[in-house]
Amino acid sequence: MILIQVIVTIIALGIVLFGLVGRQTHATRAWKKILLAIFAMTMVVAVLLPDTTTQVAHVLGVGRGADLLLYMLTLAFIGYVINNYLHQQSEKDTVHRLARKVALLDAYSRYNMKEKLGDEAESKK
Amino acid sequence: MKKDVAIIIPVYNEAAVVGKVIKSVLKHYDYVVCINDGSKDNSSLEIAKTGAYLIEHPINMGQGAALQTGIEFARQLPVKYFVTFDADGQHKIEDVQTMLKEIRTGEYDIILGSRFLGSTIGLKKSKRFILKMAIHFTNITSGLRLTDTHNGLRVFNRTVAKGMQITLSDMAHASEILEIISEKKFKYKEIPVTIEYTEYSQSKGQSIINAVNIGFDTLLRKLSK
Repeated sequence: MILIQVIVTIIALGIVLFGLVGRQTHATRAWKKILLAIFAMTMVVAVLLPDTTTQVAHVLGVGRGADLLLYMLTLAFIGYVINNYLHQQSEKDTVHRLARKVALLDAYSRYNMKEKLGDEAESKK
Repeated sequence: MKKDVAIIIPVYNEAAVVGKVIKSVLKHYDYVVCINDGSKDNSSLEIAKTGAYLIEHPINMGQGAALQTGIEFARQLPVKYFVTFDADGQHKIEDVQTMLKEIRTGEYDIILGSRFLGSTIGLKKSKRFILKMAIHFTNITSGLRLTDTHNGLRVFNRTVAKGMQITLSDMAHASEILEIISEKKFKYKEIPVTIEYTEYSQSKGQSIINAVNIGFDTLLRKLSK
């Protein structure tokens, strides 16, 4: 296996695991920003010094610099999609909890019920 | 015995049949809790006519979310047992009675309906195949051994009702419920039930391709826990 194949495979797995297992802590959010900054800087370097991408590509075992950029872009995109999907799911969950509360409060007031917490209606029978 | 059971029915665009279904259930049980999950038709009106409890979701949130709302509401009622029941009339009230008899023995926390132990009327071959695949898949992800994993008919006690926290809003909730059973070590039993696939319920039912979404969400949930 050439170097780039190893790297791409590891990063791809890393993205998936990082996105799924990692909780939204301050640290993970900070790392996301750092990665984004590195990504942006790399792109600037790639534009200003086009030859560097090809040189780096050769070191990694990729034919052309353009191919290397494509791989990186694909990985970044997959990472973004997974991250976005998980974020959306958790937003949806929040909205659902809110809407459920609204629906329940509305129903309790229509049926003149007082919401009981804890043991609820168990003791009443 | 009619007063210690709550029948929970999630409703989404079922105006054509829901009134009839609720009325037939109300003949046997006093507490019927309907969750109108943001229907675009007259479901809400049809439910209101029957005298069942009506809870209105302000937006459409999916069957799993509707069940969770129904369970949370029913927990406030003075009942011992909780039944989840489909609004399209594919379940039989006789099966509910059999399942209740079983749970009243106190040996189990939750009784699950199984159409493959029982019988199905009008089930298409392609759908049967997908269901069988879903059963294998869900048995692996939940660690239970069941013959039918996506049956809407369930009877459970208050312990289970309290432990239920469904987060997957669409059809993937069926697998999630089983995972909850397995995690909290609830005692469960499957009972044969009959499911009648009418032309109406066929047209409303799950499309086969949706199995992909269910599988994806279940796996993603497993990984991200």
